[in-house]
Amino acid sequence: MELLRLDNVTKKFGGLVAVNKVSFTVEKGEAIGIVGPNGSGKTTLYNLINGVYAPDEGRIYFDGKDITNLPTHARAPLGMARTFQIPRPFGGATTRENVAVGAMFGYAKASVDEALEIADEYLRMVGIYDKRDVEAAKLTPLEKRLMEVARALAMKPKLLLLDEVMAGMNPSDIDKLIELLKRVKEEEDISIVSMVEHLMHAITKFAERVIVMHQGEKLLEGPTMEVLNHPKVIEIYLGKKVVEDAEG
Amino acid sequence: MSFFDKYASLIPVLLIYVVLFAIGILVPGMWQPVAFIMFYITLGQAFNIFLGLTGYVDFGYVAFLALGAYGMAIAVESLGGANLGFGIILIGLVLAIVMASILSLAVGAVALRLRGAYFAIATIGVNEGFRYFVEGARIWGGSEGIIISGAMRNIFGRETANFISTFVSDILVFIIAILAAIVTVLIMNRKMGYALMAVREDEDAAKVMGINVTKYKVMAFIASASFAGLIGASAWTLKMTYVFPSDVFLITYTVEAIVIVMLGGAGTLMGPVVGGLIYGILKYYLSITLPGFQLIILAPLLVVIVIAFPEGVVGALKRKARGNARKYLR
Repeated sequence: MELLRLDNVTKKFGGLVAVNKVSFTVEKGEAIGIVGPNGSGKTTLYNLINGVYAPDEGRIYFDGKDITNLPTHARAPLGMARTFQIPRPFGGATTRENVAVGAMFGYAKASVDEALEIADEYLRMVGIYDKRDVEAAKLTPLEKRLMEVARALAMKPKLLLLDEVMAGMNPSDIDKLIELLKRVKEEEDISIVSMVEHLMHAITKFAERVIVMHQGEKLLEGPTMEVLNHPKVIEIYLGKKVVEDAEG
Repeated sequence: MSFFDKYASLIPVLLIYVVLFAIGILVPGMWQPVAFIMFYITLGQAFNIFLGLTGYVDFGYVAFLALGAYGMAIAVESLGGANLGFGIILIGLVLAIVMASILSLAVGAVALRLRGAYFAIATIGVNEGFRYFVEGARIWGGSEGIIISGAMRNIFGRETANFISTFVSDILVFIIAILAAIVTVLIMNRKMGYALMAVREDEDAAKVMGINVTKYKVMAFIASASFAGLIGASAWTLKMTYVFPSDVFLITYTVEAIVIVMLGGAGTLMGPVVGGLIYGILKYYLSITLPGFQLIILAPLLVVIVIAFPEGVVGALKRKARGNARKYLR
């Protein structure tokens, strides 16, 4: 069943077309990857799905509802959660309170006491339970990312949008996180969209399907390995010359 | 969190109120300074609900005290002949809340869509604008204000009217301080408290987390303004028995409220109490020992304190507090 659908979505900033007539769907319980070099429109795409920007053209549907013009804050309660490329913790609050905010205002809509318990549960799951009473601003960059994953999962979303969540992690941390995401995806039937610039290796282990963005347009879409081995994808990452030389 | 843990932070605050009250009642000549200090503590408590919990600075805050003051004056003036006894004070307090909260809803619904400095600038106009509106449109007595001393004597008799102005009005300020502290803790313990924390730390991230930021900001604004209205009605109209626009729409009080909250620690329950104590005591005794110089001395002193404790006195203590002490300091 279809969870998210983008229909010909366009977003312009002045003369710059950041996202140009992009359409795709995400099925319930599916894991997809969005890859593309810097400036290809990935983050803008997230901001459109999330309601940070309204599209200039096109419609966005979530769980059967047209959410194109729904304000940002009204989207999380429908079952949408995201992490940020640069983590955005509520710095003055403790790690536990940060995660509890997700549980309170996301799809989970938990009461304060329930939310604090849910927070403990997810902090254990991502492995930073011992940091629960630390101010979020004092966490290491890796811990901040894990806190954001816990906060997003505590919202009990139907759709989880991950923005470069594995950037800067070492391979063993990445493997752990991928294991965790695979597990919650199975257990809680979450659809996960993960956006990466470079970590192709991580995407191959995780995504069933991949969408390639290039200069604001959807370049390719299909099964992960097939797409990532496509000459066009190698071309946009490595340049035409390298591809021609390799072929020639 | 257990029930006790959630409300433990009220204990030290209420303890300070009890001690101040006891000093005022038991030590001869101390009621007046205690009431003076208590006015600043209460002002801080009320303003903290907005400034402290949301992180937005409202430079027009005194307008809510002014409207509260007018609310009480209008009630006494227009219903003075109705033989309501102490009921008229109750009506005056209700009218003060209604008038302050209507203005806050109107200002909040528009200005709270602005961020940080833009909000602060927009609110400066509210106070000045309202003052000139009252004077220029000649409503509520225009620049001559409303004098209720005669009406108070007619309703209560000379002695009781005196008692209300010199004692009951101060007691009301104490009660408002207690209520404001309780409301602050109630907000902190609820979803609203967490929502406002998120707004204070990162408003855009808060929206993405599903928080209707405008709703919670407006709610905090109205709650804070309502308490301001009560303070204006009690500490000004009932105490002074008159309201002049040039006295009540005075930006000095807004600045004092900001200083108290920042000095004590914005967003903490104990902060405005500590800030109010320091500011009130300094101002009272400096104006006696060095009359006229209190502001010159206060300003550099405040600069030093704000540099030494950027998070306020209580904010700095809270950071150092470990384990059990934390739940008493919020």
